[in-house]
Amino acid sequence: METVLSIRNISKRYGKIQAVDDLNLEVMKGQVFGLLGPNGSGKTTTLSVILELIRPGSGDFQWFGQPPSKASRKRIGSVIESPNFFPYLSPVNNLKIVADIKDLGYDDIGRVLNLTGLYERRNSRFRTFSFGMKQRLAVASALLGNPDILILDEPTNGLDPQGIAHIRELILLIAQQGITIIIASHLLDEIQKVCTHVAVLSKGKKLFDGEVSEVLAISDSYELSAENPAALSESIKAFPGYRSATVAGEKILVYFNSEVNPGELNRFLFAQGVILTHLAERKRSLEQHFLELLRDNA
Amino acid sequence: MIKLLKIEFKKIRTYRIFWILIGLYFVFLAAGLMMAEFMVNNMVDNMNKHSPIPFPHVAIYFFPWVWQNISFFATIRYVLIFPAIVIIILITNEYSFKTIRQNMINGMSKAEFLLSKLLLILVISVILTFLLGLVTFIIGISHTSGITLQLILQKSSFIVGFFITILCFQVLALFFAFMLRNTGLSIALFTLYVFIVEPIVFYFLKSPIVHKNGISPYLPVNSILRVTEYPAIPVLKQVMGLTLQDSVSMSICLYPLIYAILFIATVYIVLLTRDL
Repeated sequence: METVLSIRNISKRYGKIQAVDDLNLEVMKGQVFGLLGPNGSGKTTTLSVILELIRPGSGDFQWFGQPPSKASRKRIGSVIESPNFFPYLSPVNNLKIVADIKDLGYDDIGRVLNLTGLYERRNSRFRTFSFGMKQRLAVASALLGNPDILILDEPTNGLDPQGIAHIRELILLIAQQGITIIIASHLLDEIQKVCTHVAVLSKGKKLFDGEVSEVLAISDSYELSAENPAALSESIKAFPGYRSATVAGEKILVYFNSEVNPGELNRFLFAQGVILTHLAERKRSLEQHFLELLRDNA
Repeated sequence: MIKLLKIEFKKIRTYRIFWILIGLYFVFLAAGLMMAEFMVNNMVDNMNKHSPIPFPHVAIYFFPWVWQNISFFATIRYVLIFPAIVIIILITNEYSFKTIRQNMINGMSKAEFLLSKLLLILVISVILTFLLGLVTFIIGISHTSGITLQLILQKSSFIVGFFITILCFQVLALFFAFMLRNTGLSIALFTLYVFIVEPIVFYFLKSPIVHKNGISPYLPVNSILRVTEYPAIPVLKQVMGLTLQDSVSMSICLYPLIYAILFIATVYIVLLTRDL
C-alpha cells in the first residue's frame, strides 16, 4: 500500500509546554485515520506542522514520499480549527480564490456547494452565515477539486445534530471514493463511527495506534457472578493475565491484560470450586480503551 | 504573477473600505491641489503685512513647474497616509481573517504571498501615478500659454519622483503591517511614527550639536519625502533661503529604494521564520 503521509520523530515545544513529543505516524492511501486525544493533546499542532503552518522543533515528515512543498499542499484539502474566509465575499468568490491558488478551474464550485447544502446561499456574504454554514463552507472548500487527502480538524465542532450527521455521511461518502482522510477529534464516538485507523495522543505523545476494528475486537473484560462472590473475587486473581476487578452490585467486572477464552475461564474457576451463575463478555468501547490508555499513562 | 494579481483583485473588488479610502485619497488630493495656490498666496499676503518689500503672488499650475508643485502637494504626509492605511488594512485583514493561513494551506508559498502584496502596491502606485500625471497635464495645459513639447517635458521627472515616493511609502506601511499583524496597532504605530517619532528624531539630529553628521535626511520617511522636497515657489527661496530642487535625481531616489529593499527583505525573513 502506498504511504501518503509519514511523520518521523516530530517534536514541537511552546515554552514550557511540550505540544508534540517525538511523534511517529504513517498514514496509508485510502485510510480514514483518526487522531484522538483530549483537548491540548497536540492534535491541532500536529496538523499545523504537516500543513507547514508551524515549523517543528525537530523531526520531519513526507507527503507521498516527498519532502513537503506547495505542490503537495495543493493535493490536500483541509479544515483547520475555524473556517477562514473573507467575511465580505460570497462563498462563490471565496472559493474562486481557493481555486486560483490550487490552479483549478471554477467548474467544481457548484458541486461542492451542493454537496454541503450551501448552493442556495452561494451569493450571500460569508459574514451573514451561521457558524454551522461557515463550517460547511470550510468543508466545501476542502473538497474543491477532489483532493487526494482530506484533513479535518474537529469537523463537527459547533454543529447541530443534523449538521453532525450530514458531515459524517459526507466523510463516509468521500472515504468510499478512496480519498485518504485524516480526522482530529476529541469525540470518540466520531472516530468510532467514521475511522478505519486511529492514533491516540496525550500530552503530545502517541499512546497507541492501529485499526479501529482491532481496538474494538480485543475483549478483555468479563462480567461475572457466582454463588459465593467472595470466593470468586479471591480465586480470579490467580487467573493468568488478570489485571483488576471492580464490584458492580451482584456482579464483578474483571479486566485482563490479554485475550481470554471464556471456556478456560469457566473451567479454571470451576476447578477452584467457584460455580458461576453469570458469565458475559464485555466488548469494551473505544471510549473505555481510550480512558484506560490515558489513565495508564497519566 | 498574473495569477497572484487576479487573486488580489478578487480580494479587493467588493471590499467597500478599500474603495472608500482610495476615493477619500482622491477627494483630499483634489481639494488639496485646488487649495494649494490659494494657501500659498494667503501665506504671501500674511508675509506682506510685515514686510517692507511686497512679495508678488505666485502661480503654481503652469508648465513646467506644475509637475514639481503637484508632485510635492500630492506627497505630503497627510495625503500619503491614505494609500498607506489601505495597504495596512489589506495585509492585517489577512491575519485577522486568518486567510493568510488558509492561503498557505491551499498551496501558496510565503514568498508568493509577499509578492502578491508587493504587486498590489506596484499596481496601485502605477495607477495613482498615471491618474496624477493626467490631472497634472490637464491643469498644466489649462494654466499655461505658449505650450511647447519641450516645456511640458522639462520637469516631468517629478512624476517619476511621485511614483517612487508613493511606492516606497506603501512599502513602509507593508513593513509595519507584516511586523505587527494587528490592524489597529499597525495603523496607530505607523501614524505615530510618520507624524511624531520621526519628526522628533529628525529635529534632534538636525540640532547644532549633531548637525555635522547630517544623517537626518536619511531617516526612512524623510528619505521618501525628500524625493519631491519643495514646491517650486520663488518666495520660499527668497524668504527661507531654501535651495530649490531642480529635478528628481537618481541619487535622491536611491535612499528610499534601498529602504524599500531592506524592509521587503526583513519581512520575507520574518515570514519564513515565524509560525502562522
